[in-house]
Amino acid sequence: MRDTVVIAAQTLLLAVLAPAVVGYVRFAKARLQGRRGAGVLQPYRELRKTFGKGMVIAESASWIFHVAPFAILGATLAAASLAPVVSAVQPADVLGDLFVLTALLMLGTFFLALGGLDPGTAFGGMGSSREMTVAALTEPTLAIAILTLALTTGSTSLGVIAGSVLKTPAYAVGPGHAMAFTAFLIAMIAETGRLPVDNPSTHLELTMIHEAMILEYSGPYLALIEWAASIRLALLLTLAANLFLPWGLAASLAPSALAAGFVAILVKLGVLGLLLALLETRVAKLRLFRVPELLALSFTLALLAAASSFFTR
Amino acid sequence: MTLSLLFDSMIAAFALGAVAAIVLPPGAVMRRVALAAAAAGSAAALLLGASVLRAGATWTGRWENLLQPLGGVSLRLDSLGAFFLVIVGFTGVPASLYAIGYLRNLDGHLRGRATHALFNVFLASMCLVPCADNAGTFLFAWEVMALSSYLLVVSDPEQQDASSAGLWYAVMTHAGFLALLAAFVILGQGGSWEFVALRNAAAALTPAARTLVFLLMAAAFGSKAGLVPLHVWLPRAHPAAPSHVSALMSAAMVNLGIYGLARVVFDLLPPGPPWWGGLLLAAGVVTALTGVLYSVAETHLKRVLAYSTVENVGLVFIGLGFALLMRGYGYGPLASMGLVAALLHTLNHAAFKSLLFLAAGSVVHGTRSASMEAFGGLIKRMPATALLSLVGALALAGLPPLNGFPSEWLTFQLLVAGAQHTAPALAILLPLALAGVALVAGLAAVSGVRLFGITFLALPRSDGARDAHEASAIMIAAMAIPAVTCIALGVAPTLVLPQLSRIVSDLGQPAGPLSAGFALSVPLVGSRLWPGAIALLVVTAGLAAAVAVRLAGRVRQVRVGPAWNCGRIAQSPRSEYTAAAFAEPLKRVFTGFYRPTQEVTVEVHPASRYFVRAIRLRADLAPWMEQILYEPLLRAAQAASDRMRRIHSGSIHFYLALLPGALLVLLIVARWIR
Amino acid sequence: MDATFSRLTMTAASAMLLLALVVLWRRHVSAYITAFRTQSVVLAFVGGVVAWYGHVPELFFVSVVILILKGWIVPWVLSGMETRRHSARELHPLVNTETSLLVCGALAVAAYEISRPLAEVMNLATRGGLPVALALIFVSLFIVVSRREAIAQIVGFLMLENGIALLALLGAYGVPLVVEMGVFLDVLLGVLVMQAVVYHIYETSAD
Repeated sequence: MRDTVVIAAQTLLLAVLAPAVVGYVRFAKARLQGRRGAGVLQPYRELRKTFGKGMVIAESASWIFHVAPFAILGATLAAASLAPVVSAVQPADVLGDLFVLTALLMLGTFFLALGGLDPGTAFGGMGSSREMTVAALTEPTLAIAILTLALTTGSTSLGVIAGSVLKTPAYAVGPGHAMAFTAFLIAMIAETGRLPVDNPSTHLELTMIHEAMILEYSGPYLALIEWAASIRLALLLTLAANLFLPWGLAASLAPSALAAGFVAILVKLGVLGLLLALLETRVAKLRLFRVPELLALSFTLALLAAASSFFTR
Repeated sequence: MTLSLLFDSMIAAFALGAVAAIVLPPGAVMRRVALAAAAAGSAAALLLGASVLRAGATWTGRWENLLQPLGGVSLRLDSLGAFFLVIVGFTGVPASLYAIGYLRNLDGHLRGRATHALFNVFLASMCLVPCADNAGTFLFAWEVMALSSYLLVVSDPEQQDASSAGLWYAVMTHAGFLALLAAFVILGQGGSWEFVALRNAAAALTPAARTLVFLLMAAAFGSKAGLVPLHVWLPRAHPAAPSHVSALMSAAMVNLGIYGLARVVFDLLPPGPPWWGGLLLAAGVVTALTGVLYSVAETHLKRVLAYSTVENVGLVFIGLGFALLMRGYGYGPLASMGLVAALLHTLNHAAFKSLLFLAAGSVVHGTRSASMEAFGGLIKRMPATALLSLVGALALAGLPPLNGFPSEWLTFQLLVAGAQHTAPALAILLPLALAGVALVAGLAAVSGVRLFGITFLALPRSDGARDAHEASAIMIAAMAIPAVTCIALGVAPTLVLPQLSRIVSDLGQPAGPLSAGFALSVPLVGSRLWPGAIALLVVTAGLAAAVAVRLAGRVRQVRVGPAWNCGRIAQSPRSEYTAAAFAEPLKRVFTGFYRPTQEVTVEVHPASRYFVRAIRLRADLAPWMEQILYEPLLRAAQAASDRMRRIHSGSIHFYLALLPGALLVLLIVARWIR
Repeated sequence: MDATFSRLTMTAASAMLLLALVVLWRRHVSAYITAFRTQSVVLAFVGGVVAWYGHVPELFFVSVVILILKGWIVPWVLSGMETRRHSARELHPLVNTETSLLVCGALAVAAYEISRPLAEVMNLATRGGLPVALALIFVSLFIVVSRREAIAQIVGFLMLENGIALLALLGAYGVPLVVEMGVFLDVLLGVLVMQAVVYHIYETSAD
């Protein structure tokens, strides 16, 4: 019973925090670009407004169109339940490990792509095709990054990885760890559709990947999909923070440790968000056919990290 | 005793079906009787296999007087054979029921007789292969299986390339048969061809001879299963056959190739050096990558599914190779877990591939076309088929909570666990295999989206799709059986784990603990998967969101209107993404693999070359594997047979001299051997 | 003390390898020159670290020369060559980017396996960086082989020199001073000769 409460609480925390993360990144980007920015809480206002709007459903759409937003949100929340947000003591380890998390994110992408293909528009098909290609090409990087973590910590379960790097900080110092972290960040950028892989704020259809798939969605469906996308970003940033740099995570379920863990994750999300904003301001979007090169680079980094961790054992 | 009864009723049902197909007048009654008999026989096979697995007992049967030149018919059903018998049975039942509705157009035709009779014979031979206990029975059943399936492949006169597909299939399966024969001859030097005797004889062979037997068997069974580069018959033959036969071929027959190899490597031959496993593992990775890359790029619906079969066979071989590799290095628990993963994936693949082929048959039947470029919008015209196909596509993509995922997850865990060992070959091979499997998993998801999305969603791309009709009730009921199995195996794979562990321990490997309650667990890597809970989580979260949306909204306006389409006024099916277009980015990334060719023809008005009448584009994938590997062989064979033709000099004296000449040579050879 | 030495050298060696990967990923010559310059600076840093922890004072002098020669003079010469090329085109190598990167991953894994027996026998604190140095050598050779333009091949050759120097530093705490000076003179001469030859190529062909 207590385990269920812990799992539910962490998931809810991530879900509630997610729009703030997106808002923070947007705000940081705006300030870096010399604009005022709309405030960190703006995505909440946007979600509430979109939720209350009416919907127009395309005539050519089928029941897949209606089911997809819920399937996407369900899969993303299930993935979020596996992540260690404030505590390294993870009861969710009995549910699944990092591979399950990756597969659940792919489930969400599957339904997103189907939702894009359903109305039968050219842009939906384009977005689905590109999104699935990028998702497929990030899989090897994620798998080898998971292997690197498993080789150093002896497990693929999220709580165990976080706890073991917490206990033995020597694991986290070294080029292998840094390379795995960089590879994971590049894969994260591809999975969440940020620059330089995809521009989340573009209005030009030919430069879209994620936005093209959700062009036909409106009202509550659109709100759910946007929320799921922000949960995905927050989830992957949390993973990057807590698997590679887990200091601050609660090592027990005592309230004081949990509170410290909460503060720690906020700080880490802030730092990583700022880093993301800096990167997005600095680089331009890559041509679609250059994205596989970036992903090949991240795969090579992950492979180097795995090789170096073999050696230091 | 009950087991013998089940066996007898299985054979009797198939015999009844075949005889009824030949004797009864061609019509609806004959079709129903023949196919119901096939279904009954398959059900009996399923029960027989399940009983043997459940009880842990072995069933034997021996008939000395049948097939005497081959050493009599000797049958033995142990747990490994029973598992594959279960697979044959549980793909046979839906395929037979499906055919009752699907082959309605063959009523009144003579071709219907042959099709239904051969179908029963095919099923019967596939049920005999896992039971065979001596090489003669095995080879006999194998050959009957090959012949009956060949005839079924070429049976449809409407398929343009059926005869060429049949030719490729016949030649390759018989080449495999020869390799099998050679291997059995080497093994059976002791005299008897019973499997018991072969086991002892194999232990007495030199390591070089054992390696030769292994390679021959791997080539023969690998070719039947679809291992690259011996897979080339598969994407030709499976699409040409009628859909229920394709389902059986993909879901049952290729698995018998896996059965054969497992029987030889884990039972007949003593444990071999690790490189056997390394070879199978590498071949499995290459096979899986080739299969999935082609399945993403092909536009013929059934060929996409055939290449997906190649991909999944690759994944099974990865498990088998891993098991052999670990056994060679002495890591017993990992070896047995690898075997369990391979067997589990075989079962899962049989379930979702039979579902998808049957669904493909409905689609082809309903739209009168086989190319994905002609489909679209079928979810509205064929709702039941679409729903069942969605289950199949999710399973093909290897996503939770369906059954493609647990076996893939187990393979990942095993590769990670194996990579933790410091043997140098493992340190290089296993991470690369892991990266390969991850890429295959990602690309399989692309293939699943494309398969379902292009076929069923969006607007109809042709008249056939516009006027498509739904499959009949019995066809839908037949498809529902594997669909339910997919969901059940996806949510609770631990249901079959005790049986799989028994199979592995019967083969002499100690089975490690793989399940904890309803969750799969791999203690070596400290990871767990609880598919039921994950499924519950996803569904609950989705439902909660749905409830929240319904409750929280005041009266909200929901309109149905034309698609926004970025302001375009008219939406036409011509502007949708096609199957080829969906795969375009991947084709660009993997250009070196696909070697795409493009041919653009511009037709101009005769009066002036500035008026373009039509532009035709033909884009193809170069079949480089056939060009590099097979065409030289074919050309050499052609050259050799051209030279042999000179024997037909036309002189009658030469022909007359051949007879006594051959007699003389035989007598001398016989005298010499004495 | 040893652990810090080992970690510093290993991190620096990995950084040098990653800079070689930059040459495979980016398509502009200015990026190549910057990568080489940074790599040489890091190499000088490694020299300094080895000199400090390994108690080999002459390596300080070597590091300074590396810094001046490979960190300043040679990149200056290369930039001169590049501006005279009159084209800011992107470079298109013989082997495409994804394949190059995958080949480098495979080469790195091979380097780890090849140097494993050697590293087990050594008992210097820097043995962790040996495979990385070997991988850098392989990757630089691959760069020389798979690039089309002369200037990219020159950069690859110079990175090969860096890799060999790194291997010497990590494997044996540097070679005698005389040998190092000889190598430096070789490099300087080589670059000047190559500059003349490449200039001639650019003048006679349109490339």
